[in-house]
Amino acid sequence: MSEVVEFKEAVEKKRIGWGSEKAKVTKEYLDEILQKFGDKIKDFKQVAYNQWIITVDRNDVPEIVLYFLNHEGWKETQLSTMVVNDERPLRGKFSITYWLSINGAAGDFYLGVRAYIPEDDPKFISITPKHRGANWYEREAYDMFGLIPEGHPDPRRLVLPDDWPEGVYPLRKDFHYSDSPPGKKFYPYKKPKDNEVIVPYGPYHVALEEAAHFRLYVKGEEIVDVDYRGFYAHRGIEKIVEGRLTYDQACFIAERICGICGCTHSTAYCEAVENAAGIEVPERAEYIRSIVLELERLHSHLLHLGIVCHLTGLDVGFMNAWKLREHVMWLAERLTGNRKTYGMLLVGGVRRDLLEYRRSLIEEVLKDLKSGFGEFVDNITFTRTFVKRCESVGILPYRIAKELDVDGPLGRGSGRDFDVRRDHPYAAYKYLDFKVPVYKDGDVMSRAMVRIDEVWESIWIIEQALDQLPGGDILAEYKEIPPYQEAIGMTEAPRGENIHYVMTGPNNKVYRYRARAGTYNNLPAIPDMMRGYTIADAPLIVASLDPCYSCTERVQIVDVESGKVRVLNEEEFNRMAIKASRRV
Amino acid sequence: MPVTLKYPFVKITAPPEYRGIPQIDPTLCIGCAACVNACPPDAILRIDDYDRGTRKIVLDIGRCIRCARCEEVCPTRAIKLTNFFEAASPDRRDHVEVVELRLVKCKGCGRYADFTGRQVQKALKIVPKEIIEKEALDDKVYLCRDCKRKETVDFTIEASKEVVP
Amino acid sequence: MSAKPKLKSIWVFHLNTGSCNGCDIEIIDVLTPYYDIERLGVKLVGSPRHAHAMLISGPLTRQAYYGAKMAIKAMPPEPRIMVAIGTCVCSGGIFYNGYPIYRRPESGREGNEYPRLGGIIELLKDLRDEGVKVGPVIYIPGCPPRPEEIIYGIAQLAGLVEKRLSYQEYSDEFVKFRLPEGPVEERIVLTLREKLRHVVGYLDRDAILEEFMKLVEKAEKSENPREELRKLINEYSSKQRDMRIVFCMRLLESEYWRIKDAISAGKEFVYWI
Repeated sequence: MSEVVEFKEAVEKKRIGWGSEKAKVTKEYLDEILQKFGDKIKDFKQVAYNQWIITVDRNDVPEIVLYFLNHEGWKETQLSTMVVNDERPLRGKFSITYWLSINGAAGDFYLGVRAYIPEDDPKFISITPKHRGANWYEREAYDMFGLIPEGHPDPRRLVLPDDWPEGVYPLRKDFHYSDSPPGKKFYPYKKPKDNEVIVPYGPYHVALEEAAHFRLYVKGEEIVDVDYRGFYAHRGIEKIVEGRLTYDQACFIAERICGICGCTHSTAYCEAVENAAGIEVPERAEYIRSIVLELERLHSHLLHLGIVCHLTGLDVGFMNAWKLREHVMWLAERLTGNRKTYGMLLVGGVRRDLLEYRRSLIEEVLKDLKSGFGEFVDNITFTRTFVKRCESVGILPYRIAKELDVDGPLGRGSGRDFDVRRDHPYAAYKYLDFKVPVYKDGDVMSRAMVRIDEVWESIWIIEQALDQLPGGDILAEYKEIPPYQEAIGMTEAPRGENIHYVMTGPNNKVYRYRARAGTYNNLPAIPDMMRGYTIADAPLIVASLDPCYSCTERVQIVDVESGKVRVLNEEEFNRMAIKASRRV
Repeated sequence: MPVTLKYPFVKITAPPEYRGIPQIDPTLCIGCAACVNACPPDAILRIDDYDRGTRKIVLDIGRCIRCARCEEVCPTRAIKLTNFFEAASPDRRDHVEVVELRLVKCKGCGRYADFTGRQVQKALKIVPKEIIEKEALDDKVYLCRDCKRKETVDFTIEASKEVVP
Repeated sequence: MSAKPKLKSIWVFHLNTGSCNGCDIEIIDVLTPYYDIERLGVKLVGSPRHAHAMLISGPLTRQAYYGAKMAIKAMPPEPRIMVAIGTCVCSGGIFYNGYPIYRRPESGREGNEYPRLGGIIELLKDLRDEGVKVGPVIYIPGCPPRPEEIIYGIAQLAGLVEKRLSYQEYSDEFVKFRLPEGPVEERIVLTLREKLRHVVGYLDRDAILEEFMKLVEKAEKSENPREELRKLINEYSSKQRDMRIVFCMRLLESEYWRIKDAISAGKEFVYWI
């Protein structure tokens, strides 16, 4: 314990003074953890201004993590990410780190609970039975590193392709990034119970976005259970970054994690590297980052609202939303050089400046957007079919939302009051003023309302940022990034919290990179949202998550009893959804 | 009010800020391969042929993600992202641009060195005149790495002989 | 294209083989009011069985490979057009040699071949090996391509436009090398250029630097270049409305003299090149 106190004193001296209101609260949290588990903590360090890592024995991890997550006084705690790292070349051991965060209005605090796992006994105790939000993280730990989560209720493969051979773990350091060993195709789907009918969902869909495969288990029209096999778009980004790319190149692959919210990913990556290496970003660059991020949020939310309109049969809303969105895309093209806001960031700042004429372009577009969007919102909220179709569909209660750590507009639609921009301010959000909309109903409508409110807030944020835009450089100068420093970077993407973990390495390369997008936490909530609703609701529910892919392409209805297969394509399927809205 | 674009029946130009198809200006390229090192998807290749004494800088637009890192690092402004965007083609070969440059023939051993003649010209232009004269760089630059090293070693040995008889 | 498909209205199916969504959203964009590709008779259909053409995006992950192959085989044998949209599907893009990306064993995972292999090329080779007939392929690179680019590609299929790019090869023997000449020493120019990258970014720096160099050229001709340059820049600033560019000019001026002084004093100076 005395060691810990010393550590703490050293940290206090070195880092920030605990002057600010937020830092005081943070200190209380930290004190409590140290008080409660002081004798179990072996090591304690601060990696960035709001990030601490404690090292404990691997058997003590679940206790601390669950204490943190279920703490009554701490409102919006959440398991932000879990990072497994192959530190065998450094220490001869693997490490697992559960990154926990306190959100809500109260704190700016990230705590990593770390344990080392020896190579000859690669096991750790699963916390999934007690906290379902850890499900995917722990499955991924097995997939990528071969660490076995003991007591995990569903230890199936998650990330790797179906034909990946057993016993090959691609993120281990002894695996070369471009190897691709062949194997046999196999995936164990859940078996249907009696009288249940399987409705496979995907992997290919017509209209939108990515491939993913859902299996709906239905009784009559009612959905009883859902099985999910996604990761069709798993492209091995983490390994490519560790193997092939340099710090500056990695920005561009981080953007390409998602084509809609690319810039937030590269911001999170850059923040992680900057936190780890102690690079100070010029203020002007922070402001430009914020402006671009908000533009991205605008076009992403407009896209989402359009799709929800489409699926509820309100096609005029779809067309209008996408028409409005096009203005934002044009603006993005002129500001960043690419319609998808790609290629704007580098470690240490941004690549393009906001010259005067670009500023006036933004102002013009925002003016148009404000009037256009107001009209659009009036139109859809006064359309009875739209409202009736979205109300009380796909309800996700607060309790389950908390249990599954869902984030972003999905969480805020279920009454979780958090937002990374406010709680853990990054880029220029610390200088800006905005509200965080929270709705309590947890249905499709409240998620849409959250997004509508956020569009207004985004417009307001951009206007503020333009007014306050300071002068100076846009790209920091730094010499060298020291190896084996670690930190996380976090951003609020249009879909939720993005957490990127970076451990710097030698030779201008990242040693370990872990990216977690908002949808990673949100997708596991789909079974809970779908249960009890009809097949016709399924596309709407999936779309309401804005899951970086809408849903459906081809729906296959297999009647288990007769063995008859009926194939519905997405069009028919969407038509069912649209028809259902005619009923209201 | 109709909003639909008339494209492809009318001509359209992308805004000047748009990052379109990259192009190498062969009159400016010195073959330093800075772009090859910076390119995240390895769309630009450096292929050295020591038998024929050529270096090829190969740009494949079909691999390019248009990040403009090459433009950012190019010391001679040879590679630029134009705002031209009509790249569709049924033949992938159409997307390739090759710039072939001659490598320097080493004055010492007669083999080809791993840098181009243009690189040498550029370097001589950048390095201040005093240093070129002082170090007698005019001759030295046309030696390959091995010969340069050898010369340095010879020089050191000679010098040490003088000191330690 | 040897046999041009005489198609008036192309029905397309959209196939994602693991792309980042950028291209997919652009494909949808093409169908919305501004670009409205239905003008050209293109219609998005819900099943590959109805489709003439397949719009493919993504670098072809191993997980998506089987589904993609099945979907292509499910298309009617004629005309079975492949429209490869985006850099990833043309050649694997930035992901080209990651472990979950499908590559044929003989393609290798690192290579100096060009045009670069990867993406749909691998799948098409597999299909041809299996004896599956595949119609014309059109490649639309871009990351993501603009909606206009996609329209351009599809218009090419419909025979409305001609391709504009062609294979380019230049050789030292035929193209003369041009060393840019300027009034200022190259090393100073390069240092200023790099400094400017940190202030206004790579895109705008060249235009600003050029303006500055013009002023320097004028100033250096006069007897007192320092005064003259200051005067010229003041004059320039009064006309320029963009304060950012004015700021850059002033910065360049001070940097320029700082480097000059350092050189004339014979001090060690770190150049950014």
